[in-house]
Amino acid sequence: MTDVAEDSATGVDQSDRAAGARGHVPGDPSMWFFVIGDLLIFGVYFVVYMYFRVQNHELFLHSQARLNLDIGAINTVMLLSSSLFVALGTAAARAGNSADALRRFWVALAFGAAFPLLKMCEWIPEISAALTPGTNLFFMYYYVMTGMHLCHVLLGLIIMCFVIRNLKTSQQPKISFVETGATYWHMVDVLWLVLFALLYLMR
Amino acid sequence: MATAPNPEAGQDQAWRKNRKLDQWIAFWSVPFFFNLFGLVFVPLSWMMPPRSPSSTTPHIVDFMHSHNLLIACVILTLAFGLAPVSNACYLMQIKRMSVSRAFRYSMMIGAITGAIVGMLFPMFCFGLGAFRPGYSPAVLTMLYDFGYLAFIGSLGCFCVMWMAFGLAILLDHNNILPKWLGYYTVWQYMTELIAAPVWIAKSGPFAWNGLMTFWFAMTLYVPWQFIVYLCIYKAIKSQPEAELDNARPEPQRAA
Repeated sequence: MTDVAEDSATGVDQSDRAAGARGHVPGDPSMWFFVIGDLLIFGVYFVVYMYFRVQNHELFLHSQARLNLDIGAINTVMLLSSSLFVALGTAAARAGNSADALRRFWVALAFGAAFPLLKMCEWIPEISAALTPGTNLFFMYYYVMTGMHLCHVLLGLIIMCFVIRNLKTSQQPKISFVETGATYWHMVDVLWLVLFALLYLMR
Repeated sequence: MATAPNPEAGQDQAWRKNRKLDQWIAFWSVPFFFNLFGLVFVPLSWMMPPRSPSSTTPHIVDFMHSHNLLIACVILTLAFGLAPVSNACYLMQIKRMSVSRAFRYSMMIGAITGAIVGMLFPMFCFGLGAFRPGYSPAVLTMLYDFGYLAFIGSLGCFCVMWMAFGLAILLDHNNILPKWLGYYTVWQYMTELIAAPVWIAKSGPFAWNGLMTFWFAMTLYVPWQFIVYLCIYKAIKSQPEAELDNARPEPQRAA
């Protein structure tokens, strides 16, 4: 980073400048403000969850056993695959290959869109079996935290649609916007990994 | 009427000729409104921080019949009209953004529904308790529940408002308000969504006085509200006069 700063300060040629640009913070810096803040907010939720989990260990363990681990695991794979295609799409967009980028973002969107559908397949039978937020504190946490995360996923899907529109309609797509969308989507993925571990796997 | 210019009279008139006067009135109604609101809810009635949802009936009856609650309701009745005035300062700035009018309309409707459910409903509930001493303890308990649920559980109405506001900031190309404020607004409304469990939980972190639903949401909301107003203040200050709604050429004085 120091080299990059020195290079730009001394006014170097174009190729060096391009090499320096690769070291920049990807996307809109204010998105990083959002990502870091959002991770902090979820961090607080996780800490509070852990506190109450320790207080009611047996109850949480019992309730946890009633979750659908299979759908949780499939959803994890869906989000990870989606994130992979977002990363590949961003790389293609950076290389100036909009057509490839577009194709990869469509795949990422399809994997991402499977998440809310699978979540419904998970929630509806649980609610039908009277496992509602009112059942106990664990299920309240479960619905609130996965629900908050689902809102993030839905927002991410909307952002991804805008990224696709940007790649599709613009002759010179805004790479920083593609990176901003990718940054957000990776955050959604990271949050899910922690949630999956805390809610489904932790014993 | 043509007289020598009087500098004092000129100064006196200057603020009235300020073309942003409408926006400044809306803006300065905000600290007034919030201070009044704070006074009513905290030291006067101790409605906030929220009382326990599982309070005993005698405690609820005492609270609902207290004189302080009555005074608080009187102030609220006289002041609730300030809410639309203070919301005008957001709407004026959204109008400048390069986004669809749908955002402004959604925000307006969100503010209206939020004010009705979040302010008028509690005012009626607590007001009924304070002004009509004849109700039975069971009815007062219901009014207490209704009042608090409307006040804290209504945050979903405000979600629509802040979602429109946050998205408008993010999608705006005129950079009227900073982008990071848009993102902060997104967190803000996301944490307001977490108020929904107050309808279910009567104790613990998700009750209406709980760690997650009230205290954590407040920790995010209070600084956010201050920051929004600072940004709105800067936006009004930097708005070019030619762009104002009431921009018009100086009237030609009769010779």
